[in-house]
Amino acid sequence: MKNILIMMWFTLREALARKVFIFFIVISSLVILGMLLILTSKSTTVIIQTFGKSGQAIGYTQVIHALELIIVSPLSGLCILLAIFASSSFVPIMLEKGNIDLLLSKPVSRIQLLLGKYFGGVLVVFLNIIFLIIGVWLLISIKFSFWDFSFLWIIVIVTFTFAVLYSLIVLFGVMTQSSIFGMMIAYFIFIILSPLLVLIKDKFIVFLQNGFLKDIIIGLYYIVPQTAELMGETVSNLTVGKGIIDFQPILTSSAFLIITLALSVYLFVKKDF
Amino acid sequence: MKIIETYNLTKIYSSLRRKSSVHALSELNLSVEEGTIFGLLGPNGAGKTTLIKILLSITYPTSGSAKILNEELSNYLVKSKIGYLPENHKYPPYLKGGEVLEFFGKLSGITGVSLKKKIDELLEMVKLTKWKKAKVKNYSKGMMQRLGLAQALINDPELIFLDEPTDGVDPIGRKEIRDILLDLKSRSKTIFLNSHLLSEVELITDRVGILNKGKLLREGAVKELTEKGEEYKITVEGGSLDEITKEFISTIVITNTGNNIYSVKVSNMDDLNKLLDLLRKNGIIIREMVKQKQSLEDMFISLIKESEKGNA
Repeated sequence: MKNILIMMWFTLREALARKVFIFFIVISSLVILGMLLILTSKSTTVIIQTFGKSGQAIGYTQVIHALELIIVSPLSGLCILLAIFASSSFVPIMLEKGNIDLLLSKPVSRIQLLLGKYFGGVLVVFLNIIFLIIGVWLLISIKFSFWDFSFLWIIVIVTFTFAVLYSLIVLFGVMTQSSIFGMMIAYFIFIILSPLLVLIKDKFIVFLQNGFLKDIIIGLYYIVPQTAELMGETVSNLTVGKGIIDFQPILTSSAFLIITLALSVYLFVKKDF
Repeated sequence: MKIIETYNLTKIYSSLRRKSSVHALSELNLSVEEGTIFGLLGPNGAGKTTLIKILLSITYPTSGSAKILNEELSNYLVKSKIGYLPENHKYPPYLKGGEVLEFFGKLSGITGVSLKKKIDELLEMVKLTKWKKAKVKNYSKGMMQRLGLAQALINDPELIFLDEPTDGVDPIGRKEIRDILLDLKSRSKTIFLNSHLLSEVELITDRVGILNKGKLLREGAVKELTEKGEEYKITVEGGSLDEITKEFISTIVITNTGNNIYSVKVSNMDDLNKLLDLLRKNGIIIREMVKQKQSLEDMFISLIKESEKGNA
């Protein structure tokens, strides 16, 4: 455990040195500052109070939830996109000749090395998301005296979504010793495949005549990490205070994460350097 | 006590793309005694680095086995007693010299005050104290090697693997590294050294192994390997050996190398004594007589050439 923590700490140092962390913090700070300006403007206060007082169709709470959702959804997505880009080279750099030789010559198991690097990457993103989400939450809570603690679960969901995609980046990093493949596949799943599978499953599968094709699509839907569901429905439900309604995307994505990470560890343990 | 032992260690690198395979090591049997400096010599691609990598489980053997500090290679905890300086090592460029040692020290299980003390001690030893707070990306090649040596010693290891430790180091730096190695030996550390610089290896190693194409061609004490049998260089005065030694021609080979210096090869000590008696009897003064040795480099080159001929 101590060795995993050392590797995590030095991954954090690496992120700091490569300005990844600072870049995130700057972006998040700009967003929070922008929000501060918007929320303190008179017009915003008037609009929200008007909605709040009308009290029938749209309540005050719902307006704040909607505001949170408008801010958080795109920000979380952007956060994941940046995190994939920033963390994709952590493992390939560790595996570079001359670097890995030194690490493997120390009394540290290969499992500890890889898991330390993995959790280090997740920690970097976790800290950034904490900064962003807590910043947004504090602003809204202070401004409207509305303290919705379930909103903070978004930190867990966004970090988890990243952790699932990062396990894939680690796997490709171990296999190819390059950051490009892992990054491209993670982007492909996050931007194209997962949203597409949700769309087909929800809207178009009923029109499919071929049973085999249906099975393939349903199979893929469950195998591929359900990042679209996580970042869409799950984050939305948490933002509007409904909590987690459907645990299936979390469970299937967890299974994907565990299998991918286990495979990465297996390949890393067997690999010649 | 044997600190390294290998049994029929074989490593074959297969390339699926090229449908070919390279025998990096072929049934290698080698042992290294505790408290010695062992030099592994060989041309590029001989398998020297592969052997170290296998011993440190950086690479796995295709067949055969090995023990290190009396432990199986699979026991990674044994590495807490091992130091390693790889060839072309890389450190995270954003770290400072002291931080590099801190990182590898922590991974070796050293923490707190003892780590800080050790870092200062080692930086002093490799003359990098002033550079402790400078980022390693600003270090020269020689400084990187010296930092690498400090890194290899951070856990006060019993066994140290050094792959080309003086690569890129200036002559003064080399001498300093040699002195450090000799000091480590005096403290009963075992050093396994891979180097191309045969003259340096000759100066500090107790035993050497010569590897070519994954096969151990010869192994032994430097003195044993560099001796040229019973061959002497004799400098004389007051006469020539050419005439008087004709009667020995069948058993002694004498070559005049000029300036009254002769190279004399004898098959036994009796013949040598007979020759010396004859010289004295003929009034020839023996100014100097030195038993001949070949340099490690000469021996290495002739051995590799022989091996290449054998393979051809």
